[in-house]
Amino acid sequence: MTSRHLLVVLVVGCIIAILAACLLGSTPMGLLQVVKALLGQSSAADNIVVWEIRLPRALAAFVVGAALGASGAALQGLLRNPLAEPGVLGVTATSSLSATFALYYGFAATSPLLLPVYAIAGALLATALLAAAAVRIKSVVTLILIGVGLSSFSASVMSLLLNLAPNPFSLADMMNWLLGSVANRSFLDLLTTVPFIAVGLAILFMSRRGLSALTLGDEAASGIGLNLHRQRIAVVLGAGLATGAAVALAGAIGFVGIIAPHIVRPFVNYDPARSLLPSALLAGLILVLADIVVRLMPTSTELKLGVVAALVGAPAFIWIAMQRRVTYD
Amino acid sequence: MTELIAKNLSVTAGNARLLDDASLALRPGELIAVLGPNGAGKTTLMRAMLGLVEADQGSTTLDGRDVITLSSTERARTVSYLPQRRPLAWPNRVVDIIALGRFAHGAALGRLSQADAEAVDYAIEACQLRELAHRNADNLSGGELARVHFARALAARTPLLVADEPVAALDPRHQLRIAELIREFVDAGGGALVVLHDVALATRFADRLVWMSSGKILADGSPRDTVSAELMQQVYDVRAHIEFDEHGPDIRIKGI
Repeated sequence: MTSRHLLVVLVVGCIIAILAACLLGSTPMGLLQVVKALLGQSSAADNIVVWEIRLPRALAAFVVGAALGASGAALQGLLRNPLAEPGVLGVTATSSLSATFALYYGFAATSPLLLPVYAIAGALLATALLAAAAVRIKSVVTLILIGVGLSSFSASVMSLLLNLAPNPFSLADMMNWLLGSVANRSFLDLLTTVPFIAVGLAILFMSRRGLSALTLGDEAASGIGLNLHRQRIAVVLGAGLATGAAVALAGAIGFVGIIAPHIVRPFVNYDPARSLLPSALLAGLILVLADIVVRLMPTSTELKLGVVAALVGAPAFIWIAMQRRVTYD
Repeated sequence: MTELIAKNLSVTAGNARLLDDASLALRPGELIAVLGPNGAGKTTLMRAMLGLVEADQGSTTLDGRDVITLSSTERARTVSYLPQRRPLAWPNRVVDIIALGRFAHGAALGRLSQADAEAVDYAIEACQLRELAHRNADNLSGGELARVHFARALAARTPLLVADEPVAALDPRHQLRIAELIREFVDAGGGALVVLHDVALATRFADRLVWMSSGKILADGSPRDTVSAELMQQVYDVRAHIEFDEHGPDIRIKGI
């Protein structure tokens, strides 16, 4: 399968999955009913179920996945390591922490834009710190350890905030945040976050050729004409914006950014530049499907998307780490 | 004519003087080998000449323009650089790695322009990599991989080439093959500046030898003019016995 076939398969898969997400749920709807509702031609109740509940939720899962998938692929290209990913590097955790501050102090209630802005600021802080460290520290393993440190630190501050939460309601709010979910997302939530994700992804796509060059290592990459400094800034900005806005939309969802690029890579001849778009689509597809599973699971309280993603993703992470061969270093 | 000219370059890192007042000119049609022990400043000299490290004193010009002011793309279209460490992040296909040599010409993997594709093809042919072109880099031998990296540098079709230990860790046969490829590049009108550790290989292939020690250039001239027991002692701190025959100097290391 060439990379073009892969793209077609993924686009078709994503459309089918989003349609399926509109079909399935506590009130089952037929395909015709859903198509009618999508066109606003069905009953008022059907229109509301599709337009206000299922479609925004499915789209939210898709864009969050796309943002994390592309960020993961870009960070892996920049750091030249298949284990790099916003979650592992502590970007999602720092972003969640920053967003939790906005929730905790009630800033988020003053404007719908403040939550994304806080989440993005947190993500940019983490990506910038990692990129700055990457200039001095040549070992990617050390860099991942810095990410682990960032994650742990954010988690501990988050625990502190939970510990000090003034009432059970804000506690529940913050827990929802930590676990990661796209339940009850509206088109307004999409509107305040998708533009940031779009800009972030656009930056990543425009700088993708440099990721191919980095295959050869930093020094040879500058030798063949890459402006390393500009490349680092582009990936930091792009991944920071996309991941931050994704966290603002869905909370902390880990590991999709590792799994999607890992599956995609062999189909694009291991070229980081060409892995960007299919990684985004595949990660989007994975999260839409995972969210359908979450909704259909007959549990008394709904499972959180982030929990399901981590349950599948963490073992996959360990597996990829164990498969790693020395030749990559 | 393309010229890369370093004038009185000095580079300091912390308290260490990595490069001390080095001057050197690289022009097409000449193969210059840089010799010297580990830590002599050979790599620093190359990096400073390419503007990859900033010099404290002195400057390097590429066709009259200071390399520091050139964009990475402009520089890469005139000089290709083969660094000492060549770690591959992914097990890419050989043909894709070679195509990265066209990066400065705007090539994107998977959709090469005709000019890019022709340059890649030329490099594959020149380095005899036709059979390996679609193999992945993780199942190549060290010698094959060295040829792939050299082909990558060749694909840029630059008038000048700077290579840092292109034959390191290769067996004698592969060392000769790479050296022959560099010689062919120079005979076809290119100019090459190459760091080598093997003095015998350098004297056989290079037009000029640049001897370095402790950041300084001690001698610069043809093999016949520069190779001497005194210089071997001074540069490498070894006792050598040297005889000249019709092929040039024959060097035997006697001890330390």
